[in-house]
Amino acid sequence: MPPSQLKRLKTSLRQQGVVGPQKSKKQRKQASKNGALKESRIQRNAALQGIREQFNPFEVKAASKAKYEIASNKTMGGRVAKGAISRPGVTKGLGEENRRKTLLVEMQRRKKVGGILDRRFGENDPTMTPEEKALERFVKEKQRGSKKGSLFDLEDADEDDELTHFGQSLSFDRPDKVDDFNEADLGRSDEDRADGFLEGRPQKRRRLSDTDATSEASLDEGANIRPEIRKSKKEVMEEVIAKSKLRKYERQQAKEDDDDLRAELDNGLPDLYALMRGTPRQAPPSPAPNASMNPDRLALLNGKERSQTDKEYDERLRQMAMDQRAKPTTRTLPEEEKLQQEATRLKELEEQRLRRMRGEPEESDSEAKEKVQGLNGDEDPERDEEDNFGLGSGLAGERQSRELGVEDEDEFVIEDNLIASGSELEMSDADESDEADDESSDDDDQEFVQGLLSKEDAGREGLSFSKDETGVARANGATGDLAYTYRCPETHDDVLEVTKAIAIEDLPTVVQRIRALYHPKLSSDNKAKLGKFATVLVDHISYLANQPEHPSFAVLEALIRHIHSLAKTFPEEIGCAFRSHLKVFHEERSTAPTPGDLIILTAIASIFPTSDHFHQVVTPAMLCMTRYLGQKIPQTLCDLATGTYFITLCLQYQRLSKRYIPEVVNHVLNTLWALSPGRTKQTRTGSFPHHGLPESLRLSSASPESRQLDFWDVIPGQDDDANESLKIALIDTHIALVDKMIDLWADKSAFCEAFATIYIKLQQLGQGSAFGSLNTTTRKSLHETSEKLNQHLQRSMAVRAPLRLHNHRPLAIKTSIPKFEESYNPDKHYDPDRDRAELSKLKAEHKREQKGALKELRKDANFIARESLREKKERDSAYEKKYKRLVAEIQGEEGREAKNYEREKRMRKGRK
Amino acid sequence: MPGIVSGLEPGKKRKRKDEVSGNSKKSRTAPKAREPDPQEEVLGLEQKILGSRTNYNSIHTLLDHIRVGGSAEEKAMLAAVALCRVFCRLMAAGNLNKPQDKASNEATIVQWLRERLQDYENGLLKLLKDEDAGRRSTALTLLMRLVKEEATHLNKSEEAIWRDGLFEKLFRTLVEDGMAADTRAEFVEKYVEEYDDVRYYTFARLADMSSKDLPEPVVQNTLSILSAVETILEQQDELEDFYIGPPSKAKHDLYSLTAHKKQAQKAWMAFLRHTLTKAQRKSILNLMSHRIAPWFLKPELLLDFLTDSFNIGGSTSLMALSGLFYLIQHKNLDYPQFYQKLYSLLDAQILHSKHRSRFFRLLDTFLASTHLPAALVASFIKRLSRLTLHAPPSGIVVVVPWIYNLLKNHPSCTFMIHRNSELDKDEDQGRPERHGDPFRIWESDPMETHAIESSLWEIHMLQTHYHPSVATIAKIISEQFTKQAYKLEDFLDHSYGTMLDAELEKDIKKAPEIEYEIPKKIFMKHEVGSGKEDGLVVKLWSFS
Repeated sequence: MPPSQLKRLKTSLRQQGVVGPQKSKKQRKQASKNGALKESRIQRNAALQGIREQFNPFEVKAASKAKYEIASNKTMGGRVAKGAISRPGVTKGLGEENRRKTLLVEMQRRKKVGGILDRRFGENDPTMTPEEKALERFVKEKQRGSKKGSLFDLEDADEDDELTHFGQSLSFDRPDKVDDFNEADLGRSDEDRADGFLEGRPQKRRRLSDTDATSEASLDEGANIRPEIRKSKKEVMEEVIAKSKLRKYERQQAKEDDDDLRAELDNGLPDLYALMRGTPRQAPPSPAPNASMNPDRLALLNGKERSQTDKEYDERLRQMAMDQRAKPTTRTLPEEEKLQQEATRLKELEEQRLRRMRGEPEESDSEAKEKVQGLNGDEDPERDEEDNFGLGSGLAGERQSRELGVEDEDEFVIEDNLIASGSELEMSDADESDEADDESSDDDDQEFVQGLLSKEDAGREGLSFSKDETGVARANGATGDLAYTYRCPETHDDVLEVTKAIAIEDLPTVVQRIRALYHPKLSSDNKAKLGKFATVLVDHISYLANQPEHPSFAVLEALIRHIHSLAKTFPEEIGCAFRSHLKVFHEERSTAPTPGDLIILTAIASIFPTSDHFHQVVTPAMLCMTRYLGQKIPQTLCDLATGTYFITLCLQYQRLSKRYIPEVVNHVLNTLWALSPGRTKQTRTGSFPHHGLPESLRLSSASPESRQLDFWDVIPGQDDDANESLKIALIDTHIALVDKMIDLWADKSAFCEAFATIYIKLQQLGQGSAFGSLNTTTRKSLHETSEKLNQHLQRSMAVRAPLRLHNHRPLAIKTSIPKFEESYNPDKHYDPDRDRAELSKLKAEHKREQKGALKELRKDANFIARESLREKKERDSAYEKKYKRLVAEIQGEEGREAKNYEREKRMRKGRK
Repeated sequence: MPGIVSGLEPGKKRKRKDEVSGNSKKSRTAPKAREPDPQEEVLGLEQKILGSRTNYNSIHTLLDHIRVGGSAEEKAMLAAVALCRVFCRLMAAGNLNKPQDKASNEATIVQWLRERLQDYENGLLKLLKDEDAGRRSTALTLLMRLVKEEATHLNKSEEAIWRDGLFEKLFRTLVEDGMAADTRAEFVEKYVEEYDDVRYYTFARLADMSSKDLPEPVVQNTLSILSAVETILEQQDELEDFYIGPPSKAKHDLYSLTAHKKQAQKAWMAFLRHTLTKAQRKSILNLMSHRIAPWFLKPELLLDFLTDSFNIGGSTSLMALSGLFYLIQHKNLDYPQFYQKLYSLLDAQILHSKHRSRFFRLLDTFLASTHLPAALVASFIKRLSRLTLHAPPSGIVVVVPWIYNLLKNHPSCTFMIHRNSELDKDEDQGRPERHGDPFRIWESDPMETHAIESSLWEIHMLQTHYHPSVATIAKIISEQFTKQAYKLEDFLDHSYGTMLDAELEKDIKKAPEIEYEIPKKIFMKHEVGSGKEDGLVVKLWSFS
């Protein structure tokens, strides 16, 4: 059990030496003599203070004992602990003191002291002399004045201390100073003065120089009176202001000059254009109102007949009302610029194609497309639209722009085709006329050089139609009795019905006329009709090719070109049409294609970009062809011919993208194996699947003269002789194809492997009996090709290096160990989401602050209540005191009076 | 057997009585039923026969009906069914059991009846070859019914029933040339599959027959029966379905699983000795692992056959592979130079074969071990990648992920896709500059091909394959190998057809791109001075 409070107090007093054995008188005297007494008193006081603190359980608050040791110096509340103990009494006292300093003062001042503060510069600064104070104030004022004006406000500077009227000073000071101006400026300022706005400028100028002069003068006389610093500061300020004024004025002047010059140039420009075009300039469509109105006014003023002028006026008014709103015409471009534009357009299209070929994502496509199409048509409106799309280019936007672009193109194509294909017909029907050829090629050149119709051309629709008539008139069908109007066919049967009566050669003309009749611009539902017509045309080319009487390829070509130009307007419809054809081909006769299928595939080659990495039509088409090449085991020469046609098409498809097609290599090898004359030695066939093809395919007799493969070779029905020549033709073609394949694939890394067998085969073909039965041209091409192949093989072998595909940066090893947090604090939120973490941090801070503020406010309120209570008590006690005093005073008086009375009474009694 | 005979007497008497009433009935119904209704007539005859012995001669009439067939086919069938009933009844009644005294009148009748039974059976066997499927099926049912009845009532020995009796004849007819396949199928389905004893004896018969030389069609038919047996016995206690009652002896062969298996094994072994056509061989190989091998007590016996098939080459080898694999996997068979053989299967046709997916499933299992030598794995990789140069897209899409998986499993093979040539040069400065591919394609031993020194240029080339998906798949070997493994199953079953379907089924979401330039000429040659180059088609083909 600890000793009692009193005991402890006694012991501590004794230990500190506050109480102790009494000192003798002598000792005390000595101590006071050498000041030890005073010292000891201080010591004693300190010791007593310590003891007091020690024994006051409320003075010091020890922090709650830590349960375990922690590394962090932060408490659970997240605040840094200030030492182990806190002194609530002291802090409270401090707070109280602070409040007494601020809050109490305010309280006491309330309703007693006014709100006006003296904020004059330097007023509260005792270090400044009155002069310095004045100077400071002046500078500040000046600075404030010079800062506020805007750039072009010419009259802001120092009118605050001067009243003006029309810029004329009202102070009448020295008007002769006006001339104090430099002459060049004056010359122009005459004009300026006319509009009265710039009137103030010379005035100001004058005033400036005025002050300059005065300051100079004053400088002379009172240099020693004024303090140096003041004068120079003012000087600087004024100079700066003056210079800025001058600059501003000069800039304005220069700008006006430029404007004048520009206006003059603008006026002269139309003439210049006319000169450049070399044609007399037409009168502008809508004459400038100024030019036309002024003579009228003049005439009116001159006293022309009133009625006549009225009439004229009405006429003009009507004209103006009837007049179409003037449209901005496209600038007619000079030749080089046109070429340049076309070149950039083509370049961009090519870039786009390359991007598609690499199979890159197309997110930028729509933009690029718009850009490209912006180039097609007129510049500015398109640009504007593009900008809009840039802001919010949705699907609709893309669509719209596409259609805009396409429409132009389409119009043009019609116009062009009407002539071009007509002339081609002539060429194929009759003897070809050079004239027509030239024209067609010219037109076609225009098609691709001039680019697409500009608005100007679009406006001349009538013109294009008249052209159409002439074109038609020139080639009005084989029989010359073609009708001019047709129903727009919507199914293939319709087409058959429409074309029943007409010669096959007239078909393109009919298609043209249908396209012209149902042009989308003529009626709103024409677009749908033409869309159907386009798909029907696709059906028709395949149908035509399947007919036993082989149609002229000129017709097919014209039709395909029509489909192509329609495809620009109806890409989806035509794409679907082609796809459905492919589907039928794939599902019903995948190894027995009809000529129609071949034509369809050929058309795909020209209509769609075959180099795309993926294309909705081209990819299935490629698959269809390679399926035939891979799965069909040829039994007859026609099969071989079909295969050869497919190979040709495949290579044509890949002419740009140069993708490798294994089936083509296989088929070429198999065909060469099958065709090669004479028994071939049984060699190892390498890694290609070797079909044992029938012996009948082998070239037997010595070669007849070579010919070119004909499209219709794909259909059976030739006699033996023809068969032999067909075999030769096939061999020839295959050699050419190998040649082409080398061109396409020579750069591939496994070229040697893929082509080694072909080389062996070619060598075999060029040896012994086989060689003997070939004719000279074949021998020659065979020799050349195998030489070329050999070279390429060697080169490829030499160039080839081992693959180095994995030059990637090494991947970081995935770790599943949690990130170690130094000085982890469980109160802290280690939120990986930065924003959220910040937000919660802010919230916590806000909460803490709010708490603190509330606490402070409560304390303030307490303080105020306490203070007011104290005041009231004081007031009350004062009143009490006063009351008591008064009462006592009165009582005293009363008492004295009473005594006096008693005395009086006694005296009176006594007298009596 | 006096007891039986005497026992039969009352029945006969009764029948006689019945017969009287039957006769009277018949006399009433006969006149109008005579012409139009053969059913009526046949039924009448049947009743008569069963009614009295004296009417036994009507059996002849019915037999004639069957024999005539032709126009009265319906009647023939009715007669057949009726006769079956008649004979069954008679057998059940013991009328066909030989009496003890051979000389007696009874014996003659029994003899006669037995002869008629023979006739009837022959007639049915003939019916079995009828053109009409329904009649064939009926005949089969009747015959099997007779087999059952004979076995139960005629007191024959097992041998007599199954080996020499009607069953034997039925069986011979079934495998004969010109027998319709569906009857065999029905036989297998209804009897062989259902009843353990039928199956047992079928196998026995097959083994017997196959031990002799058979003509080609019979071999085919035998095979069809053999291969149609689907049930595989696993447990002894599965043996409980017997067509002809369970055998009396508790330790009968029919109760023994081993005996069953032995019988099946015998049948198969006897059968496999025949010269088989390629198709037959293939179909056998097809069944090998799940239908044939499980029957074998000693699957090693199949090894000869499998090895022979494997040596044939081509797709037959492919199919033998799964059989071999079964033996290796389940029977712990050791096959010398297995990988070399496997390697030799990677010929030009493999990626074009229709068994491609099957082969790759197996190949994947064979090469799954990570303990295979890298040189061997590299050879497989290189060989297959060489083959992809001539493969259809569907083949390529299998090979590339497969290669990826192998490279992932055998990191030492990744030199094939990434080789730091500078480092290499430092190593072998003495060697002259390499030319071409160090890989020896014609080397048959996969350990000696030097494939691991080569690179997979082929796959690199296929990154520019014409088909976008194939090209994309080929690109996986040049990307970081972050994926653990590709699931080969996803790539196995593709073909031109499925790929085209996949392409063409998709809806067009976006309008297809159109070539911006409309060509002047598609079929015609450009004019000489026009400055445009003709397309390849135009150059090589003439269009007129």
